[in-house]
Amino acid sequence: MDATNASISADQDFVISRIFAAPREQVWRAWTVREELMKWFGPKGCTLPHAALDLRPGGIFHYAMRTPDGHEMWGKWTFREITAPEKLVLISSFSDAQGGITRHPMSANWPLETLSTTTFEELGGKTKLTIRWAPWNATDPERKTFAEAHSGMQQGWGGTFEQLAAYLAKS
Amino acid sequence: MPSDHLSATFAALADPTRRAILARLASGETSVTELAAPFEMTTPAITKHLKVLERAGLITRSRQAQWRPCRLEAKPLHEVADFVEQYRQFWEQSFDRLEAYLKTMQDPPTPQKTRSPKQKEKKNGRNKR
Repeated sequence: MDATNASISADQDFVISRIFAAPREQVWRAWTVREELMKWFGPKGCTLPHAALDLRPGGIFHYAMRTPDGHEMWGKWTFREITAPEKLVLISSFSDAQGGITRHPMSANWPLETLSTTTFEELGGKTKLTIRWAPWNATDPERKTFAEAHSGMQQGWGGTFEQLAAYLAKS
Repeated sequence: MPSDHLSATFAALADPTRRAILARLASGETSVTELAAPFEMTTPAITKHLKVLERAGLITRSRQAQWRPCRLEAKPLHEVADFVEQYRQFWEQSFDRLEAYLKTMQDPPTPQKTRSPKQKEKKNGRNKR
């Protein structure tokens, strides 16, 4: 946790970053070469039963992710800008086996698409990776939900979660 | 799951007064008058906030007693906590895995002592290319 920083910028984008002890080229490859991406993308214990990567502007990364408890979900990136080894701009969405764009499984008001900008900064042999998210082509309710949810993620809704933790544990 | 259930919860939690009300209710059910006391707000103003919380399913108000006590409901809070946690974990854990993967790239396994013959073979193979 301590190595990762997440914050809300003034324009309500969601930002997460971490410094990796590896040269920038290597981190870039880990993100852009299918076989390498498959080695780490997704939470602990998740696998990618399907992963198709077409790295070019307009190309897509279409994947199925299987969680340790057997749940499967599809996701899709559509690349917009590829500047090796510095910057990767893509539109991220939930998907289905056919490659369509689908709603967040838990929220109808979550933005259908988010713009994700990943930057790779050289830092004396290390690499600072930063991902910045913003709603893309979103409706007002979607924007609002994104902003509210992310402020909650960042600040635990002003400590409410801590205050309620004991209560949640009991119930 | 109701379609915009989660959004209603997010919106309800976005307001500091409503969060304070929830925090107060965590220690037990109470009346509107009691809830209004620390806020320097009129009862109707508090009632407005309570309606938002009620619509989001975060509280319920008993119809049994005359004073209609408010009570915290845990389910939507659990849902929201799960949502936030899943989102955070996705990238925290992906980053952890990326870190581990990059480490294997940084120091490739060089078990010189234990597998030196194989190591040499590989080296020769590479040189030939």
